[in-house]
Amino acid sequence: MSEGDLAVMKPETMKSYIWLQTADGSIQQVEQEVAMFCPMICQEVIQKGVGSSKNHAISLPQRVNPAMFSLILDYCRFHQLPGRSNKERKTYDERFIRMDTKRLCELTSAADSLQLKPLVDLTSCALARIIEGKTPEEIREIFHLPDDLTEEEKLEPLKNTMDDPRIRLLNRLYAKKRKELKERERLKNVEVEEHVDERSVDDLLSFINGRDPKVVKMSKGKKKKKKKKDQKIVSSNDKESRDLHSKQQCVEETGSSMREVPNLPSAEDDISTPKAGSEDEDIDDEIDPAMRELLDREVEDFAQRLNSNWVRSLGQERRPVHFSINGNGTTRRHTGMVSIWLHLYKRFLDIL
Amino acid sequence: MGESPDFISDLPQSIIENILTRLSIRDAIRTSVLSSKWRYKWSTLTDLVFDEKCVSPANDRCVVETSLVRFITGVLLLHQGPIHKFQLSTSFLQCRPDIDQWLLFLSRNGIKELVLELGEGEFRVPSCLFNCLKLTRLELCHCEFDPPQYFKGFSSLKSLNLHQILVGPEVIESLISGCPLLEFLSLSYFDSLVLSISAPNLMYLYLDGEFKDIFLENTPKLVAISVSMYMHEDVTDFEQSSDYNLVKFLGGVPLLEKLVGYIYFTKYLSIGDDPGRLPITYIHLKTIELYQVSFEDANEILVLLRLVTHSPNLKELKVSASPIQLFPLEEEGFDLFERDYFDYKLPSLETVKITDVSGIRNELEFIRFLLGTSPVLETVIVSSSLIDKEAKMDMVIELLRYPRVSPRAQFLFLQD
Repeated sequence: MSEGDLAVMKPETMKSYIWLQTADGSIQQVEQEVAMFCPMICQEVIQKGVGSSKNHAISLPQRVNPAMFSLILDYCRFHQLPGRSNKERKTYDERFIRMDTKRLCELTSAADSLQLKPLVDLTSCALARIIEGKTPEEIREIFHLPDDLTEEEKLEPLKNTMDDPRIRLLNRLYAKKRKELKERERLKNVEVEEHVDERSVDDLLSFINGRDPKVVKMSKGKKKKKKKKDQKIVSSNDKESRDLHSKQQCVEETGSSMREVPNLPSAEDDISTPKAGSEDEDIDDEIDPAMRELLDREVEDFAQRLNSNWVRSLGQERRPVHFSINGNGTTRRHTGMVSIWLHLYKRFLDIL
Repeated sequence: MGESPDFISDLPQSIIENILTRLSIRDAIRTSVLSSKWRYKWSTLTDLVFDEKCVSPANDRCVVETSLVRFITGVLLLHQGPIHKFQLSTSFLQCRPDIDQWLLFLSRNGIKELVLELGEGEFRVPSCLFNCLKLTRLELCHCEFDPPQYFKGFSSLKSLNLHQILVGPEVIESLISGCPLLEFLSLSYFDSLVLSISAPNLMYLYLDGEFKDIFLENTPKLVAISVSMYMHEDVTDFEQSSDYNLVKFLGGVPLLEKLVGYIYFTKYLSIGDDPGRLPITYIHLKTIELYQVSFEDANEILVLLRLVTHSPNLKELKVSASPIQLFPLEEEGFDLFERDYFDYKLPSLETVKITDVSGIRNELEFIRFLLGTSPVLETVIVSSSLIDKEAKMDMVIELLRYPRVSPRAQFLFLQD
């Protein structure tokens, strides 16, 4: 039967019906205008010409059980009337979806199989409102979901990104940079004192070693031949200080570490070598014990006066050397070097 | 429904995505811990909308910034399939290389709608954006826009919205010409822009800023125009054009349905050599809203009259008089209304709203004109900026005196 024929039949008091068969086999007839509100039924009627009699009933999809179907028919019956205002429709919709969650899901499924998009949107919206803002446990309870994920998997899923070693490193660098920045702030206040200290140490050392201050400074550039380890440390430290120097510049300029990702593998290697002062002084052997005691005490005091981090950092791996690249840079570096040197010196003395 | 008590996980993916799209991105991703079936249901969502609410709030701005960056990067890495819409609206992110990387990722995943509303900070749009030729909607805010030489335009772009963008004016012109399917254009917060717009499919135009000169060269399909034109102190720029701006701007928009103008728009239109007649009739124009019209300037009133009389289907007229007198003029004895203007008819005008009336002669004459030419007029809403109650009363009495062609015409006087 074509649409035209159906239309002709309408003016009579006799309404035209469409025959529909639900999944359980039962057949019922529905007013034409109500049934045709569903695109899927509409399609079946127009394209295949079925539904006009009991024998040729349209069989509805599996997901439409009789209870859901009657709900859908109620919905269609209300909305297919063109005369309803938007407010009326909205009020009806809000009351319509008040049902338990299970039926809501069934209704969504049934509406979807009948291609009734407005109802699908309405029910989806309702389901979204149910899910919104609830904890996973609550949601699982509402929808009867099985709790079948392992504890690890349950950790916030975005933590999976931590599997990427580069991202892990990035986060560690972030943390380090933040700490460094804090340190630098703190150290800026301590710097003034340190400057004074350095001079006294220099003098002290020159006195101990019987050299004038100038020579002391120059000789600090000499590498210690005895310890191979020191040499290695020296070269790697230089390289690493340069790397970190440039890296820090990068970081400070761009505020990001993404660009440093390609640099990271090399930087990592550098960080892993233990740090030490690059300057080593040729240590004289002729020191009398009294002087040595005095020296020990001075060294202890001095090491404590400087930020004790320096001493601590020697015991740890993977900590960047604190280089500041502002005007005080050289001073800071110098001070750090001296303290590290002093520590080694002390150890050397112990060995003697 | 059957054996398993779980009644939502087996719904078709299209429905699940329908539901998840209605949740915030954070809630949608949290569904991945519900059960093993739900683990990756969210990962094929095609519309991603981010803002600072995606991460837990914190007092330290840097913390929020970092966690937001991590969140977005994480989402993009775990996402599967195409991404059609990406929206990022937050003032917490300004200028970060992370954004470059996200845009690169999006450009490789078929992005169609891109909305970037960043904080103030001159983020420079990376060149990968100009390879996203499937873009249908682009919205940028607080960015620097500098396309490479080879860039010819977005061939599928339908909606373009640029707000406070650092860009050369010739770039905008070539961008608009290079997007032949453009239907919606919004340019706001620009300085001293001289623009010639050629967009054959453009339907909605929204301009807001300091424009020196605009020429609608080829916009035959325009349906709605809204312009807020600010003016520099240097007024002489406006006076230079010899073409009548009204014709230059509104001469080629026969399909216009709604016209809205703020600040100095009417003043701008009034500049130029007046040819006398308007060459075009706006058959579809139903709404005219012109604000800050200076009723002391004869040229501006002329613009208003011309538009009104050339729109036979005009239903609604909203006018506000200008309290700002940038160009203090002596009130000319205006015989404009004594000309053949009263021979005109406004056959469809139903609603008139005139605000900030200060009671000067020209304003009252204009209202008299409307009352005498609108046979179906129903409501005339008048609100005044006068403080003096006496003056207000005089004005009201005067207005009520005027003859009305429409029997149903009613006055509504609003109190401020």
